[in-house]
Amino acid sequence: MSDPRSVETDPGVPSTPDPGVDPSPAFAHASEAELSRILDFYAVRWEYEPRVFPILWNTDGDVLESFSPDFYLPDLDLYVELTTLRQKLVRKKNRKLRRLRELYPEVRIKLFYARDFRALMLKYGRLTLAEELTGTSGQVTPERTYDELLAGPFGPLERAAGGPPDAETPAGAELEADTTTAAAPRRRRRRGPGAPTRAPERTAAER
Amino acid sequence: MSAPVDLKADVAEVLVSEEAIQAKVRELGQRISDDYRGRNLTLVSVLKGSLPFMADLMRAIDVPVRIDLMEVSSYGGTATESSGLVRILKDLSASIAEEDVLLVEDIIDTGLTLNYLIRYLRGKNPASLRICTLLDKPARRLVEIPVDYTGFTIEDRFVVGYGLDYGELYRNLRFVGVLRPEVYSGGG
Repeated sequence: MSDPRSVETDPGVPSTPDPGVDPSPAFAHASEAELSRILDFYAVRWEYEPRVFPILWNTDGDVLESFSPDFYLPDLDLYVELTTLRQKLVRKKNRKLRRLRELYPEVRIKLFYARDFRALMLKYGRLTLAEELTGTSGQVTPERTYDELLAGPFGPLERAAGGPPDAETPAGAELEADTTTAAAPRRRRRRGPGAPTRAPERTAAER
Repeated sequence: MSAPVDLKADVAEVLVSEEAIQAKVRELGQRISDDYRGRNLTLVSVLKGSLPFMADLMRAIDVPVRIDLMEVSSYGGTATESSGLVRILKDLSASIAEEDVLLVEDIIDTGLTLNYLIRYLRGKNPASLRICTLLDKPARRLVEIPVDYTGFTIEDRFVVGYGLDYGELYRNLRFVGVLRPEVYSGGG
């Protein structure tokens, strides 16, 4: 039975590809597309971002923050969150993961860090691909509204205007972290009908 | 022509020595012998990585055993394999129905290959199916599979030797070692 605190966003999404049909969701990051292919290869069924777990509410009960793990493997009853951020940039994600584990102790979740993904690619002799897919270069540029661009922080408009550079946090890192926030858990995950397999062109803000 | 590979020089650290491996193989062989005495044991080795372990382990077992070999394609082996499905490259040569099967692995990492193999072998109706691995690297485990016989639990490092390869090399090292990162990252 579903946890009433969580939200089923795509109930019944088929995870095993149907021959002749391209059911691939538009992954937020090329590394996620690569992991989906690995799971397909080994005949492990998966669902992409099927649930959103609220992890922070205000006093009125409104959800302020949530976490949507990248994959759910139904046969293993396991969620997998894949991050290709550099290790020092994953604190926010680690915090959300801790919060999720506190609130939903029955949920089994595994976090794959950049080093794990890189090791996986090394194991499969695809280290070159790992370099291409790791970090911001593998990031699908999310659609951002005009208000978001204005709001920053350190968004493209501010940078163009000479805003403070952020040596620690590349724009892509911030955007990837945002894929787990409540405000727009789905806005970031869909872009176009196909899954990217190669690093897309980076925006000026990401360079 | 590419430069010759210095197998031992490419290893940064010996993680499991030849002596430690042989001692562990003897210990595992004794345990397996005790557990399977009076039963019909078939050892199934998964090529290519488990070949040295299989060769040593079978000789450390003192009860009658049959052996068989399997090979499955690995993700990323070729461009086509990266978008396809795992394939059985070499299947069992004899039936394992009603046999006690011990699957012999070199290393369990994500568990994806093992998970596939277990499902495949269970379909052949063995009397029992157990797992024996020389190395267990649980850090990146995706599929939790109970392992019955484990040689060494190792940390999350890229290891070669004693059957384990990088680019099909290093399998013939008599120990398990950590490969220098510059070997696979292309640095000097």
